[in-house]
Amino acid sequence: MIEARGAALLYHDHGREVYACRDIGLRVSEGEFLGILGPSGSGKSSLLYMLSGLKTPTSGQVLVDGIDLASLGDEARSRLRLERFGFVFQHPHLLGYLTALENVVLGASGSGDRLVEAENRLSRLGLGDKMHRLPHELSGGERQRVCVARALMGSPEAIFADEPTAALDHANGHAVVDMLRQERGGGALVMVTHDPSMLDGADRIVTLVDGCLGEAAVAARPGIEPGTC
Amino acid sequence: MASTFLFRNAGKTIPLVAVIVLAVMLISGIVAMIDSIPLSIRTIYRYSQQMVGITPRGDPAQTPIIRDRIEKEAPVPLERVMVCRATGAQVRSIVGKWPFVVLGLAREDMTYYLDRMGSRGINGRLPETGKAEALISEPVARNLGLRKGSLLLGPVQDGAYSPEEVRVVGIADTDEWLMFTPIEYQRAHHFPPIDVLLVFAENLPDQAKLDNWAVKAFKGERAQVFVYQELERDTQDMFKILYKILNVVIATLVLVITLMMAMLMNIYQSQRLPEYGLLQALGYTRRQLLSRAFGETLVVVVGGWVLGLLVAYSLLLVVRAQLMTPQAFALDPLDRMAFIYTIPIPVAILAAGALTVWSRFRRFDPVSVVERRLV
Repeated sequence: MIEARGAALLYHDHGREVYACRDIGLRVSEGEFLGILGPSGSGKSSLLYMLSGLKTPTSGQVLVDGIDLASLGDEARSRLRLERFGFVFQHPHLLGYLTALENVVLGASGSGDRLVEAENRLSRLGLGDKMHRLPHELSGGERQRVCVARALMGSPEAIFADEPTAALDHANGHAVVDMLRQERGGGALVMVTHDPSMLDGADRIVTLVDGCLGEAAVAARPGIEPGTC
Repeated sequence: MASTFLFRNAGKTIPLVAVIVLAVMLISGIVAMIDSIPLSIRTIYRYSQQMVGITPRGDPAQTPIIRDRIEKEAPVPLERVMVCRATGAQVRSIVGKWPFVVLGLAREDMTYYLDRMGSRGINGRLPETGKAEALISEPVARNLGLRKGSLLLGPVQDGAYSPEEVRVVGIADTDEWLMFTPIEYQRAHHFPPIDVLLVFAENLPDQAKLDNWAVKAFKGERAQVFVYQELERDTQDMFKILYKILNVVIATLVLVITLMMAMLMNIYQSQRLPEYGLLQALGYTRRQLLSRAFGETLVVVVGGWVLGLLVAYSLLLVVRAQLMTPQAFALDPLDRMAFIYTIPIPVAILAAGALTVWSRFRRFDPVSVVERRLV
């Protein structure tokens, strides 16, 4: 479904060329829970942004159903993200002037009854009684759950989660991951983390070191694929 | 969603709207007050719209000759040609005292004149033939603070001299500005000894045609013609320079206000970058976000402008009621020109706002927002 072929992301930092990711070869299958594991600064988030079309590789390709994302215009890539992908970021980004429910509605495009779906999503995530609260009236864990509900809107084909537990305590972190796993339906889940314990139940885990899919960092775990660089 | 943001962030919206409201109020107020001067001229001397005045030049014996020619050659049917005398008084305006003519008329001409001016009646009576008495209209009474028995002309009245004390015996209920004394009194006591002709067309719509004819017919002759159109033309010429200065002042004001608003909007848009970044990351297109930001700007600017017009109109109503009407000064709270002058405000602010939003979006990376590098 989503495939990176020799994808690389090059930054220019004060005249110096720095690779956030390089020569990434990776495939995300339908319904798969893929964990991307690596230390801080290893390029995990950059890889996630490339796979989800938020960043365009400076070389190589990222294909979605065989279509190179770089060949799509800005509008088409945006539409793809809104209609087919869901996002959970490290920080629970919500619009402060909208209620939890209104924030969740933002996660899907105009078709269908978004309000009813948003209410259902929030109820299933245990926020049925708080859906009309503003973000500042919610705890950190609750805010991240609202973000999860927003990512699940429209039953996306893939959910990209960038360290979704980083701002939460361990228990809340696990709860959020469990919700993502259980509520995603048939959609794929690509989750970046530096905490291996959050990837229990992942179908596959890849590691990233210095921008390369490298040797397995937690080689003892079955299903971890070393990459090549 | 645009209105949601504006309503739920009243602390940010209200100052923006308030600046526009104040600017619109200021500009429309200035223009309406300046416009009130030519409006006063037109209002005070509007009575001359109903007739053409012709006075002989250098030779008082010309009057019957002129009259004869008018009666024979006038291009439209005439209703009345009356002989009058004239002396001067003064009325008050917001820019000082202005001259006003006191017509000396025969009693039957006074009655005709009042009918022609749409008088609804007289509080008091007409001046007696030959007596030192005067009839004025209601706006004149209000303007000069006169009542029945008040002194209109007199030996010690600056700008309203008469050798005898001429007191008000009647106040005509009409919106036109009028001052009458008996023609016999003026013939006996006032200079110059010249009979002036007032010529009235039978149909009011024909009056302008008669006026134009008189101006052309007596050009270069021993007669001077007074018509309302000339007053209009002179007024326009007189205020041309003033309006040019006004344009410069208002252009400067608009520029200052626009710069200020552009700065404010820039600050507000900067504060909202995390919101735009998040929405763009979720999949909202630049076009959608631009139109949303532009929509919000449009609501603020147009809302502020409309509110400003309403506030300005209300304030002008108060000014007219409290300051102008009691002294019969003219002010039009619905002055079209005053509102037209405010149009550059929303247009300039909208342009500056759109430019600000566009420049913000031009090199905008949503990832920097969701990664909190821009927050």
